[in-house]
Amino acid sequence: MSDALLDIRNLSVALPKGADRPFAVQGVTLDVKPREILCIVGESGSGKSVLTATLMGAAPKGLSVAGGEALMAGQDLLTLSERQWQKIRGKEIGMIFQEPMASLNPALTVASQIEEVFILHSDMSKADRAREARRLVEAMHLPEPDRILKSYPHQLSGGQCQRVVIAMALAMSPKLLIADEPTTALDVTTQAQVLKLIRELRDVHGHGIIFITHDLGVVADIADRIAVMRRGEVVELGTAEQVLKDPQHDYTKTLIAAVPSLVPHDRPAPEAAKPALEVTQLNHAYGAKQVLHDISIAVAPGRVLSIVGESGSGKSTIAKNLIRLIDPTSGRIVVAGEDILGAGGEGLRGMRKRIQMIFQDPFGSLNPRRRVGPMIARAAVLSGASRAEAVTRAKELLELVGLERSAYTRRPAAFSGGQRQRIGIARALAMQPDVLIADESVSALDVSVQAQVLDLLADLQKRLQLAVVFITHDLRVAAQISDEIVVLSQGHVVERGPASEVLTRPQHPYTRELIAAAPGRDAF
Amino acid sequence: MKALTPYLQKPLVLIGGFLAFGWLLVAILAPVLAPYNPLQTLQPLVKPLTTGSNGEYFLLGTDMLGRDILSRLIWGAQTVVIYATLATLTAYILGLSFGLIAGYAGGRTDAVLCFLANVILSFPVLVLYIVIIVVIGASPVNIVIAVTFSSAPAIFRIVRAITIDVASRDFVKAAITQGESTWRILFIDILPNTTGPLAVDFCLRLGYTAITIGTLGFLGLGLPPPTPDWGGMVNEGRAMAIAFPHLVVFPCIAISTLTLGLSLLADGLREVNDAKERQA
Amino acid sequence: MSLGKFLIRKTAIAIATMVAVSFLIFLALEVNIEEVAVKVLGQYSTADQRAAWLLQNGYNDPFLIRYLRWLANFVTGDWGQSTYYRAPVMDMVLPRLGASAILAGGALLVIIIFGLGLGILAGMRPGTVLDRVISVFSVITTSIPDFASAVFLSGIFVFWLGLLPGASTMISGFSFRELILPVSVLGLYSMGYLARVTRASMVDVMSTHYIRTARLKGASLSRIVLRHALRNALITPVTVIMLQLPWLLSGVIVVEVFYAYKGFGTLLYDAALNQDIYLIEACAMISVLVVVLSQILSDVLYGWLNPRIELGAKA
Repeated sequence: MSDALLDIRNLSVALPKGADRPFAVQGVTLDVKPREILCIVGESGSGKSVLTATLMGAAPKGLSVAGGEALMAGQDLLTLSERQWQKIRGKEIGMIFQEPMASLNPALTVASQIEEVFILHSDMSKADRAREARRLVEAMHLPEPDRILKSYPHQLSGGQCQRVVIAMALAMSPKLLIADEPTTALDVTTQAQVLKLIRELRDVHGHGIIFITHDLGVVADIADRIAVMRRGEVVELGTAEQVLKDPQHDYTKTLIAAVPSLVPHDRPAPEAAKPALEVTQLNHAYGAKQVLHDISIAVAPGRVLSIVGESGSGKSTIAKNLIRLIDPTSGRIVVAGEDILGAGGEGLRGMRKRIQMIFQDPFGSLNPRRRVGPMIARAAVLSGASRAEAVTRAKELLELVGLERSAYTRRPAAFSGGQRQRIGIARALAMQPDVLIADESVSALDVSVQAQVLDLLADLQKRLQLAVVFITHDLRVAAQISDEIVVLSQGHVVERGPASEVLTRPQHPYTRELIAAAPGRDAF
Repeated sequence: MKALTPYLQKPLVLIGGFLAFGWLLVAILAPVLAPYNPLQTLQPLVKPLTTGSNGEYFLLGTDMLGRDILSRLIWGAQTVVIYATLATLTAYILGLSFGLIAGYAGGRTDAVLCFLANVILSFPVLVLYIVIIVVIGASPVNIVIAVTFSSAPAIFRIVRAITIDVASRDFVKAAITQGESTWRILFIDILPNTTGPLAVDFCLRLGYTAITIGTLGFLGLGLPPPTPDWGGMVNEGRAMAIAFPHLVVFPCIAISTLTLGLSLLADGLREVNDAKERQA
Repeated sequence: MSLGKFLIRKTAIAIATMVAVSFLIFLALEVNIEEVAVKVLGQYSTADQRAAWLLQNGYNDPFLIRYLRWLANFVTGDWGQSTYYRAPVMDMVLPRLGASAILAGGALLVIIIFGLGLGILAGMRPGTVLDRVISVFSVITTSIPDFASAVFLSGIFVFWLGLLPGASTMISGFSFRELILPVSVLGLYSMGYLARVTRASMVDVMSTHYIRTARLKGASLSRIVLRHALRNALITPVTVIMLQLPWLLSGVIVVEVFYAYKGFGTLLYDAALNQDIYLIEACAMISVLVVVLSQILSDVLYGWLNPRIELGAKA
């Protein structure tokens, strides 16, 4: 392996005492060659981020290298002093991060942040530095390079910030690039562009790239080789072809099986039924800014309608209107034949139980001070059940969503993210609603957990004949669960129709763009 | 006991707890601990560590009226503990209720309450006290009123900020969509989630209040004599402090150690809170 | 929002605050006209004298009329006569304000230099011995009441070491030596507070993503602190400095009384002891005005230092 840029041998990083396992990273052996993208895939807690931080000499406090070596041009990176590191970082190894906006200093212009790399690692003149910075910005395909260079980070979009971060990482043309979830915080169309840029770095400039991600779709799009990590260990390593088409390890198989594909699931044809939820001509404005334009949707009992859109499309505003956290500027929302916008006071209270919501953040949606059982039982009481009925219903629901009975007396802190989402579902169902809103309810979850929660939702929805509005940014997830899909762009519905139609024969250019940008659509 | 372990592992918290609870204990046990009646005149201006002419031993000396300083310090602890706690509690009742209401209701209610709080907070604290005391006079009840009036707006602001933060979380939205009543949302969903930072603030505020009562006493605007009051003791002894420094130094040490104890305790609480938050 | 619009809005709020404050002050001190008469004419005046005085000075008019008249007079510079000193209030207040400004200005200098400096040193590398020492020091200084630190410092520097004068009467003209103790006492509390705020802000900034970016570019610690951290970390402390003025004004009263310094604080204090109500009114109004102005300045500084925030978005 003498041609490797970086040769990691048997690397272990110890966790502090009292952690749930002794090592964050255990016995990892990997190498990266020039002109190659090595993807490290893993779910949260797999140790992938600790691994890369260690490779940059920036392991989080409390963690220490317990053994192994990481050789770069014959030098063991793990033994470097802080002073030696300063010569290597930015010059020999470039780093790209997950949060592009937060990774740039808010008080400095883009130009001065890019030029700083030259100040640190070269003796270029001021004019040369400015010229090089401009060249880099152009090479990142950023529009109006002169304006960008003069801008502060908050004046740029997330995608533009990420290109600036990449430009900084490339300034000294380091042979090795490490990218830690570089596209996770970006919209899917922006993600596709950044991924294209990263492929270009490999093909045109010959960089060796370590790319860390949780998203197997992204992996399928760019990886030459794949390392799958789980609980600190590499469980599978091979070429992209081998790992994706013929996975050996059980965990890899589960991961691949859990990846949502763009192929719509078979769902029985709709029976003609009166809609449980009917929204007509919904408009919403924040001050002078109109964010929803004439939205009309209808969902029948037992059906799932997905609203798909990128950030800023207005999809969350629809959700807030539906559960009446905010009131629309105009329009009608009818649930089971009754207009819920007209209701106030007691009438509104009666209306609320018919339309319930499952929230995005599994950590913010449950009161940390309350026990799970009484929390669910309280929802039942509010829907009109007696105390005894409510307790029974809460216990049944916990079982229904796949939790142990002992969950009843525990507090939210005792549960994982996926389990908390199940509790959120049970709480919503305790009110026996007609309509269920799921606002990005699986986006915060690891892919294997996401698949389980999606299955649960689909199952419950069928059994209880619920009308579900499923709001998501991820077309792949929508494909898994929807009967119908509505595509939202800048507050307008640009396309609607049965899921299979929208996914296979998209009419609107924006829908086509979304589908083309969906990572890994050819692989899964 | 298990809940206390993270606090007990920090030496500064231990010192703070020792000082604060030490003074609390002194206040409670004042009748037992004080060697003499704090108001009784024995022998004027005896220096510390001296035996008086009638054979009494004065550990910290006596003041110009011949009262035992140690006894006055011990009873003074009771004075400050009672009035500081009382004033802080009443300020908290006001600040907490209005803060919850303003933070949750928002809109015009919030704007009006905030403006009023800002008006009161625009007064430098001591100026406000002086005006209040000039109008209503210095008496124990009036001191409690003055402190309540001036610290409630500060508490209001803190509670309001925390309430807005907690109310923006999804579990509160969930409660609203369930049709939960506003009172239950305030007292079951929001209030219990504010206790961490409020406990810290309560400790600090107790210290401020003790300082305030002491400062008013020092300015001669505090509890009327002959109540044993640390600030008042400094005020009375100031004129003769050059010849008899013990008249002012001991009360100053007393109040400084009490407020230092409360600050250290608050710091410890905050650190443990932060650590908990990071874990969650 | 443009700077002009922002200033207009802030000024409007400030004026509303001042109107409310003036109403409260007037309400507190002059709603009971009998008491006003007693305070002005003294305990031993007769009922007839008081009644005549009240009539003569328009005190029998409705409360609101009296308030508006008083406010109009105040705004136009007629602050009334001190009942104790028998002199125009304004002539007494202004020179004293100047004397206190010297004291507060000196304290502010101490606070800024030591508060920011210690806070940055501590927050650069949290958890080190230096950080702990500074943190403990600032807890101690923020816990000790002004009058107690005055007692302690005077005990050490006046009685024990005999280095400094124990009073600051400035009888024989301006003396720098006489300023040292009052300025130190005044600075001590806010200095510790500012150091804590600065440290916390510094620690926050040092753990941000963009500091990590700078480090992974290969920048050294000193470069990271000076070029990347400081400007962002100083936004909060700088605004906090301005907001320390109310505390400083409270401290001024204690310190001036302790060191017999002839400033604004002793003026207000004596006015309170003498029940000199017109003087109290003027002093209270002026001190609130200083606070309100400092708040506007603090808001402007915040907007100016922080390129991310548009003016007025903070609220």
